[in-house]
Amino acid sequence: MRIQVHPILEFKKGKKISFTYDGITVEGYEGEPIAAALHAAGVRVLSHSRNFKRPRGFWCAIGNCSSCNMRVNGIPNVRTCVEPLQDGMTVETQQGRGVIGGVPGE
Amino acid sequence: MIKTADVVVIGAGSIGCSTAYNLARLGFNKIAVLEKGYICRGSTGRCAAGIRQQWGTEMNCLISRYSIKQFEVMNEMLEYESDVEFRQNGYLMVTYSDKEADMLKENLKLHKKLGIPVQFLSVDDIKEIVPDINAERIVASTICMEDGQANPFKVTDAYYRAAKRLGVEFYTYTEVTGFKTEGERIKAVITDRGEIATSLVVNATGPYAKFISQMLGHDLPVEPERHQIVVTEPLEPFLGPLVMNFHHNTYCQQVVNGSILTGYGNPEEPKGLNYNCSWQFIEELAEKIIDQLPVMKNVNIIRHWSGHYGISPDGQPVLGTVPGLEGYYLALGCGKGFMLSPMIGELIAQCVAGKETTLPIDILNVERFEKGELIVEPAVV
Repeated sequence: MRIQVHPILEFKKGKKISFTYDGITVEGYEGEPIAAALHAAGVRVLSHSRNFKRPRGFWCAIGNCSSCNMRVNGIPNVRTCVEPLQDGMTVETQQGRGVIGGVPGE
Repeated sequence: MIKTADVVVIGAGSIGCSTAYNLARLGFNKIAVLEKGYICRGSTGRCAAGIRQQWGTEMNCLISRYSIKQFEVMNEMLEYESDVEFRQNGYLMVTYSDKEADMLKENLKLHKKLGIPVQFLSVDDIKEIVPDINAERIVASTICMEDGQANPFKVTDAYYRAAKRLGVEFYTYTEVTGFKTEGERIKAVITDRGEIATSLVVNATGPYAKFISQMLGHDLPVEPERHQIVVTEPLEPFLGPLVMNFHHNTYCQQVVNGSILTGYGNPEEPKGLNYNCSWQFIEELAEKIIDQLPVMKNVNIIRHWSGHYGISPDGQPVLGTVPGLEGYYLALGCGKGFMLSPMIGELIAQCVAGKETTLPIDILNVERFEKGELIVEPAVV
């Protein structure tokens, strides 16, 4: 199933493009939310809860709940439900709270 | 509400709760704490949660040094079932100018004298401690690894619970509207929910202190200075110490859940209570923080709020009696109330009880402003 109409966002379904999801090449349409493309490709688990590591999927769909936070092109905590898909993007499941920078003492 | 009290403490922030706890320990039986909102509503719950000893005056250094000793054992001391989240990740003080570097060097002499373990850092040292810092413009930097942070809500809650166990009564959503006096003596505190007869009152209302003093005809030169702070989404630990920058006037630290707390106050802004938040602040803060920590450029802010320092003319606390008003005590941290709250509570309780204070607080009496005996704290951000 592909999300075509969003209650808040307007997006043009552009040309067919490809991106990677955890290293696997996936197809989607330029400009649709990343999460819409993942959903259409059958990806239901987008992140995991912080304490109990329970699976979290597509939920608020308006960039609020952080359930769809993923690492996109190396940037952590990207709200994939509102982030437009672009050709060649690297989308990865995020481990933990998102890593930026180096770790002190290492 | 009780009709009479031995002592009434106004304000249930960290200082009010700590003072009430310490008063109860010293044997006062009937203690009432009045709070116009909820516990932590004023300044404590809005502060940036930092705790440091790297100050520029002896009194600020000493009160914070003694306070840190209490933070270190606070869970046990207050028999707190949760955790006040005291962490000693250090405070990194950063300057971009020679003038501020001189101030740090001066402060360092004082810290050495008082036994506070502060170190001067080379750029290589700084990069080792905070690998992501932009060190290009740093002229000088010091660090104290005993400094750090605690959770302001939990610290206040710990004092609140400990005080309650000792019989202290808390009245939230109870606003002080005036006083009854007889000559120079306080007879009662009037609130919007009734009156409490008492001869002893502690004003621990931070930025509201001036307005309470006004009700007693006392002109207190402690002004509300707005600071705005944001909190980001949580991240894996990357920052290490709190970074305090004297060029940008900012503080930035990663708290226990991984979020970054960062903000500043604009000293040029007219003084007064103002809980608004501005979009200009977010843009300016982003520029200031990205200059220091470029790696923060894609981090999302999730909340933004305002709070106030109750700032004194010399940036030092205002503690103790008020000349001409018998039974009226000031317990004001003046921009560092949270981090000094363990000791301010102890010192004020001793003062109210007529006991010798652990540290000499006479020089922090409000009289100093009239006498012109200011001891200016240079290291305020």
